[in-house]
Amino acid sequence: MAKRPPNDAPEAEVDMTPMIDIVFQLIAFFMVITNFEQTQADERVKLPRDALAKPPEVKVEHSLVLNVGFYRDMQGEKTDTQPWLFNFIDGEPVLPLSAGAQLKKEAILFKNKEIQLEDVTVKVRADSEVQTGIVQELIKLCQDAGFETFAMSAMSGPEE
Amino acid sequence: MARRRKQAKGEKLETNMSAMIDIVFQLLIFFMLTLKIVEPEGDFNINMPAQGQPTSSDEIPLPDIKVKLRANPDGTLAGLFFGSRNLGVGPGAFEQLNTEILKLIGRPGDPITKDMAVEIDADYDLHFSNVINAVGACTGRVDKRSGNIVKYIEKIKFKPPTSPTAAG
Repeated sequence: MAKRPPNDAPEAEVDMTPMIDIVFQLIAFFMVITNFEQTQADERVKLPRDALAKPPEVKVEHSLVLNVGFYRDMQGEKTDTQPWLFNFIDGEPVLPLSAGAQLKKEAILFKNKEIQLEDVTVKVRADSEVQTGIVQELIKLCQDAGFETFAMSAMSGPEE
Repeated sequence: MARRRKQAKGEKLETNMSAMIDIVFQLLIFFMLTLKIVEPEGDFNINMPAQGQPTSSDEIPLPDIKVKLRANPDGTLAGLFFGSRNLGVGPGAFEQLNTEILKLIGRPGDPITKDMAVEIDADYDLHFSNVINAVGACTGRVDKRSGNIVKYIEKIKFKPPTSPTAAG
């Protein structure tokens, strides 16, 4: 074997280019995938599943999200049988049936922003175990406050 | 002032990358930590006209298709009724409801389905997931081959809640 001549450059440098390539790829991936939008959704609500629930193609312009759910422990078991309205105006949980006054306040807020109430969709994100009657009474309270359009949220995917 | 040393022969002039890499890693960590994996959510539009509102059209509306959901005291489904027929309980019942609706409308996408409406009458204590499944079964089905949604009836109404049977 021929002996190699000693290298001129004294330091061995690490080539950074591939690493930077990958890191940029990762940044681009995370930037694209992150959405800062869904702030009104509450994680405590375990939505029901239905195969027909497909994300809407056109985003609704104005919406009021009502999260009706239970307090759950780490395993996802209910710790309390009383459903609460989470993440509502002040962030404090409210009993669904006593939310009337706050819904009226919300309606006034929309009116102050010059948004017609018929253009506002009330998205009911109700837990799969909430009593239907409570959801219906909550919708009734919304109607009393002047809201007209309603939608019920569900996870998309096959039923369990 | 001392003269700068002459560059060695063959040495490349390199930009200092470490500052950039610092920032890039910071950004990477920020985006990784703020990432929240959210499962896709869908919405069912429901028709809840305020009570006492007169209907705008002069036509005689078609009678609503009645779907009844009865509950056990613990909130689980005790019976799914299509008109007066009991379709049983469990996921099979909702599939049957789906088939019954298809039989009734004849052909999906028929213009007449725009005027049809389903009225859901659910017990107060019933778990909400059953209502969503019933709404799903009435609105359509997912075509197995193409994965598209075939729409049946889009107008869903609710019967006003009956008096609660359980306190609290």
